[in-house]
Amino acid sequence: MSAFSLDWYFITLLIFVGLYGMLVSRSIIRQLIGLEIVSKAAMLAVISAGALTSNLMLAQALIITMIVVEVVVVAAGLALLVKAHRLSGSADIWKLDSLKG
Amino acid sequence: MTSHNLLFMLAVLSAVWAVMARKLLTSAIMLALVSVFASLILFDFNAPWAAVFELSVCAGLITVLFIAGVSLVRAEAERNPEGRAVFQALPLALAIFAIAAWYYVPAFFAGVSDWKLMAAPGGTIGSALWDVRRPDLLGQIVMLAAGVFVIKSIFPKKRPAAAEERTTK
Repeated sequence: MSAFSLDWYFITLLIFVGLYGMLVSRSIIRQLIGLEIVSKAAMLAVISAGALTSNLMLAQALIITMIVVEVVVVAAGLALLVKAHRLSGSADIWKLDSLKG
Repeated sequence: MTSHNLLFMLAVLSAVWAVMARKLLTSAIMLALVSVFASLILFDFNAPWAAVFELSVCAGLITVLFIAGVSLVRAEAERNPEGRAVFQALPLALAIFAIAAWYYVPAFFAGVSDWKLMAAPGGTIGSALWDVRRPDLLGQIVMLAAGVFVIKSIFPKKRPAAAEERTTK
């Protein structure tokens, strides 16, 4: 079995763990942790594909972009958590229904 | 087994621990550990720039942000804990998924790797970042500005008139 396919096997497992965490939890923090795990898996997928095609420089440039986007998403998600906690006293995603039409 | 595969395994195990941990603080710290292992994997792939970014930003900054968020909601999370059964089922679900995936995923990606198009040799991270992916830098600036805008709109500054009205009521 090639190293590339084994890497992608572990990446698939990481994506499964992250999605499972996002599916079963109601806490905003645990949702964000699941999202982070999935994005780590995506990052490893990019670098693995870059290593396969000898294109590591471009893969690194893409990963740096991904990290910036990740930080902004986490900062916005945690700001939403702080606001939700102030309004409803809870970090439960089912209580984020004040935007429901 | 190579150290490369061992690092991937440790990253998966830390991710499982991060999802299963009863305390949110443990989850946040385990997520930092996933970042550390991801960073070591990047070093192992000979990608030091991405690894340093990952280690400093994801294992550092994002962990600090998470710990700040956890410290805010920890008391409430301990008062109303979530049901543990679905979290404790993760190892079983992962084992079933891992066994099923073992028969399909490596074979599929071995086929995918046959279609690879090799890149031209050479180039530096500077030329990749500043010449080839220049639109990405614009995208990063727009993302950062959007993040600032989101945070500013979530926490609007109270207008003095509105604040006064609230105190008189």
